[in-house]
Amino acid sequence: MAGQRVLVSGMGGELGSRVTSLLEEEPWVGALEGIDADPPRRRLHRAVFHRIVPGQHDRIVEVIKKFNPHVVVHVAVWEPHSRAAPAVARSLTDDAATSILGAAAECRALESIVIRSGIEIYGRARDSATRPDEDTPINPTTQYGRMVAGIESTARRIGDRIGVTVGTLRLGTVVGAHVPSPLGRLLRMPAVPYSALADPPFTVSLDHDAANSFVAAARMRLDQPLNIVAPGAITALQAIRRGRRLPVPLFGPEWMLAKTVAYLMGAPIPDHVIETLHRGRLADGSRAHEVLETAPTATTPEVIDQLYSWPTVVRTPARDAVA
Amino acid sequence: MPDDATARDSVAQVIQLPARAATRAAAATTSTARNGVETMLRWTHDAVDDWGRDARFTDRIRSISGLRWDVMLDGQHHLDQVGGGLIVINTRRLSLSPIWSALHLGRALDRPVRFVGRPDIAPTGPALQRLGGLLTNSAELTRVLASGELVVLSAAPTISPHHVGVVDHDLVGAAVAAKVPVFPAATASSSLQRSARLQIGAPIAVNQRRRGPLAELELADDLTIAIGAILDGFPWNGWLLS
Repeated sequence: MAGQRVLVSGMGGELGSRVTSLLEEEPWVGALEGIDADPPRRRLHRAVFHRIVPGQHDRIVEVIKKFNPHVVVHVAVWEPHSRAAPAVARSLTDDAATSILGAAAECRALESIVIRSGIEIYGRARDSATRPDEDTPINPTTQYGRMVAGIESTARRIGDRIGVTVGTLRLGTVVGAHVPSPLGRLLRMPAVPYSALADPPFTVSLDHDAANSFVAAARMRLDQPLNIVAPGAITALQAIRRGRRLPVPLFGPEWMLAKTVAYLMGAPIPDHVIETLHRGRLADGSRAHEVLETAPTATTPEVIDQLYSWPTVVRTPARDAVA
Repeated sequence: MPDDATARDSVAQVIQLPARAATRAAAATTSTARNGVETMLRWTHDAVDDWGRDARFTDRIRSISGLRWDVMLDGQHHLDQVGGGLIVINTRRLSLSPIWSALHLGRALDRPVRFVGRPDIAPTGPALQRLGGLLTNSAELTRVLASGELVVLSAAPTISPHHVGVVDHDLVGAAVAAKVPVFPAATASSSLQRSARLQIGAPIAVNQRRRGPLAELELADDLTIAIGAILDGFPWNGWLLS
């Protein structure tokens, strides 16, 4: 088992670089390489990084075939309005899934693929399950849900075709100190809109717990979908109250205005976040704890508390005083 | 001179009276507004559980519901040692039996009791979800029961409080799938008075010989009979006006 070659796509993102730093400490991991359009956000000691944009299929195929990985951890998913506008996010995600997973399928050594998905894949249509588990049929109702459904479909087809295991981690909205999350950004605004008539509950994932799940899934060659969410739930108003923000109750048409104002204030609200605020977003994550044998480190209210305790600006003093 | 000074003070007080009155009114308004905001903040500061039930909100609604229903509860000892379980009740039309049954049973057992039958539309759906309401969906009910929760399910509503409506065998099948006990319970409440009654019966065993959906059908029939038997024992002449 030792000396396994692991490829991490999306290594430049907060989640990808966190997964990579955890993989560096795993005894079974030998060579570790990664691809992303942006450089890693943390110091990595032995991982090799390739800066390639998802559209450069030839370069991606060349690098991946040369590396010939045993395990591919595909984290290269752009949540709409996290780091890119929805149309760009969809294009980048589709390009990355096609070229990286397609190139990985050409590698003889490949044994396992672990991909990032989201609980948005279950959708929140009328009368859909309040707290879906992994057996609940998928029915995405937002753009992000359809994006992750597309990745799952691509990975499953590749897995069936070349006979490798495909593990899918359906993450709740990932929130962390440096994670570019549209929901986290919105909740940290001074005044936060919420649905006065519904205010349904939702759940989130802590970035560290999500990264741990990827490492455990890669280690055990996961071959099934799992929901990765923090225990418990919270409503938008409760989250706003915990953060001591000003709640702005909205009833319907004024959401259009709120979206525009939020956009101008630097916290654009994509459709899956609107759906979360109107219809809620829960998922049953109990199977993941049994299968991956990992325990979440924080409940949903604790993650929200952490969201508000992170400083807006981290001031780092100069290492050496200058005269 | 002192007389002049006293007169000046009196005149000054008269001049200040409207201002003082306005200040007092503003202070009272501010205090009322502050109390209102603090109450709202207290009510919205809690968290909800995995299924969206808000324990403190439920406690407050239960206290308020005491103004409408004075519930007499019997047979709760059947539920003492139970993990997950399904309690099937009869209900009269517009009586809200599943809600008050779940609220008051929860207080008696000191644990969350949920109920089936919330709509999936705002604002009623999310409000009932805070009280422990679940969608009328057998897959959802199976998951809740399998996670060790107590759930109240009502038969189809009837006009007469003496009758038991149709018990949905598909929903009862959730308890069979989750392998949890099923309890018949009879409810009665007055439309005009506060009196209400909930009596829980002994659990009904699932026919283990059945391997298919007949087990659920037979269980639904057994529940209808058992609830009817409990209802027959209620003292209808007197305290319960229907």
